[in-house]
Amino acid sequence: MTGITFLIGGELEIGSAMPLMDHQLADISGNTMTLADVKGDAGTLVVFSCNTCPWVIRWEDRYVSLANTYAPKGIGMIAVNSNAARFGSEDSLEEMVEHAKNNGYNFPYAQDPESELASAFGATKTPHIYLFNADDKLVYLGAIDDNAKNAKKVEVPFLANAIDALLAGNPINPQTTKALGCSIKFN
Amino acid sequence: MRLPLFVLGLSFFLLFSACSNVDLIATNSKTIQEHLSSYKGEKAVLLNVWATTCAPCVEEFPMIVSLGNEIKDLEVVFVSADFDDQLGEVKSYLNEQKVIGVSFIKNENDQSFINGIHPEWSGSLPFTILYGKISGKILIFWEGKESESKFREAIQRAINE
Repeated sequence: MTGITFLIGGELEIGSAMPLMDHQLADISGNTMTLADVKGDAGTLVVFSCNTCPWVIRWEDRYVSLANTYAPKGIGMIAVNSNAARFGSEDSLEEMVEHAKNNGYNFPYAQDPESELASAFGATKTPHIYLFNADDKLVYLGAIDDNAKNAKKVEVPFLANAIDALLAGNPINPQTTKALGCSIKFN
Repeated sequence: MRLPLFVLGLSFFLLFSACSNVDLIATNSKTIQEHLSSYKGEKAVLLNVWATTCAPCVEEFPMIVSLGNEIKDLEVVFVSADFDDQLGEVKSYLNEQKVIGVSFIKNENDQSFINGIHPEWSGSLPFTILYGKISGKILIFWEGKESESKFREAIQRAINE
């Protein structure tokens, strides 16, 4: 690897503890909250997201259906907006309130001041998915599924499979996947 | 009315086709890699994965086109990661930016595409790789938008190696 410049921050490794659980996030409800507050009894799903990314727009119908399916089963869920450089414009709290309303968000959607959570998670893009087990250890990382454009044409629902395996106490396979997304706009 | 409308439509089509100097190929990462390797020993290569709907991508895009025009030892290869229903927008943008020659749009699922372009790429856009002129090997890569000076520095290294 000599001579190769590697300029990408490392993602959290599988098995890592959930970082910055007490980092104060500004939620669209007007309250501050932390990952510790949204943590579920069976696990926690952290989705790095934003208001305008075309991949978010195409995928976010699945945010809602995942929350509908898995919140009653003890999975806590939050969408985190770490685009700190755009909090003064399209990713303002006001725009986030509007976006959540228009898209039927049924889970907290909060700003990550100074993108600290994204940095600690090694999140680089939106959407970027992190699933933790009941002991707050990372068990799945990556994509929601293999078809952003059309929920009906998904061949492998990576995240739903991972949550089902987690709930059933089965091994999760694959533990990491990849998908395209918009770069997080750090300050 | 029908015939004049048809003629008018055909004229626009021919005009559009005549103005198009870019050959947009929908393909997978394997074919793209084969294309890139053909420049080994001849030119340094800058691969830029972008999308019409990605703001930082289109912000740096004209600067990259201009570097490609200016530096004779450099081949710029753009790969669009747009959805397949945006082919028209991609072609229009490439023409607007006066991109000539071969350009690509991915027609592969995200995971295979990302790993096929570079296994250490997370999938965040834009994504840029520099291949050495002499070695043909990957020398530098990065995610996200970068400054012209950073691009120039990386290109110079790729031309020397």
